Amino acid sequence: MIDSSCLLPALVVFSLLFGLHARIDVYRAFVCGAKEGLLTLLEMAPYLCAILTATSLLRGTGVLDAMEDALSPLLGALGVPSGAAGVVLLRPLSGSAALAAVRDVIAQYGADSRAARFACVISGASETIFFTGSLYLGAAGARSAGYALPAALLAYAAGVAAAGFLIPA
Amino acid sequence: MNAVFCMMLLVGVAAAAARGRLSAAQDALLGGGAEAAAFCLSMAGAYAFFGGLLGVLRESGVTGALAHALRRPLFRLFRFAPGEEQALSDISVNLAADMLGMGGASTPAGLSAMRKMAAAGRQDGRASDAMLLFLTLNMCSVQLLPTTMIAIRAQAGAKNPADIVLPTLLATGVQTLTGIALCKVFAMRNKAHD
Repeated sequence: MIDSSCLLPALVVFSLLFGLHARIDVYRAFVCGAKEGLLTLLEMAPYLCAILTATSLLRGTGVLDAMEDALSPLLGALGVPSGAAGVVLLRPLSGSAALAAVRDVIAQYGADSRAARFACVISGASETIFFTGSLYLGAAGARSAGYALPAALLAYAAGVAAAGFLIPA
Repeated sequence: MNAVFCMMLLVGVAAAAARGRLSAAQDALLGGGAEAAAFCLSMAGAYAFFGGLLGVLRESGVTGALAHALRRPLFRLFRFAPGEEQALSDISVNLAADMLGMGGASTPAGLSAMRKMAAAGRQDGRASDAMLLFLTLNMCSVQLLPTTMIAIRAQAGAKNPADIVLPTLLATGVQTLTGIALCKVFAMRNKAHD
């Protein structure tokens, strides 16, 4: 197994060596880049606020639970264990809410249960579709997501079905 | 997105009213923004760090070399309209950082790529096919190693925390390839309609 903790230090050394080799002002380049990173975060904040407010409302008022009950036969047919249905619904909406849901599944069913493994696989294999969509379109100044939203949602469904098929009981 | 957002808010408030749980709705509405603010603060360090690292790599010409190496496959995949190839370097950085699971490095590059492609395209507020494909790729995960999930499983005492790596990789692959295929199909259908 690759130890992923050596990735970052290696990348730092790699960047430093290239920077020194190219004879650039490494410190200044780092500070400029850091500023850009923080500005990006600032640009993300309003989009994040909008999607998390809407998601939190749906969770707090029980709409998401009702959707989970309504969709569980369909999700079950795709091979989704009933304990992990909440994660499947939350993952496209909010990364942090999905992560909390994964922790709940692990606590309730055990880390090696099929529900927990499924929840981890689907969380690790997908993105926050709605947030990413609004953020990127906002940056481009485009109003409509065109066919990107249906394409991404259908692809997500295919990913869920693949996970249901791939994870043994 | 407009329709999705309005629908979520309307359904949420209506459900709360129907069940007499308006106080829960109030807490949830205020809590979402707080969650967003807390998330941004918690990510600020990572975004600054990866942004800085990326700044060094850009100035020393590494990202340019990456873009050069990925030029052929990316051109074939995206079929850029004239001018959109300006975004090639940002697209390369975005996809590479996404694969390594470095959100702090991929998002700034991704937004910059979208801006460059938008500036090259028609100015009617519609996104081009290359932009929609790039967006779809970012809405599907392309991460190779699900480090967060492995860490959570290790913490919870799983027998083999990394046994989710292969299924995750395959599910990601299915999702991303489906996304690309659907984009190509939808783009072709649109062209036939025009």
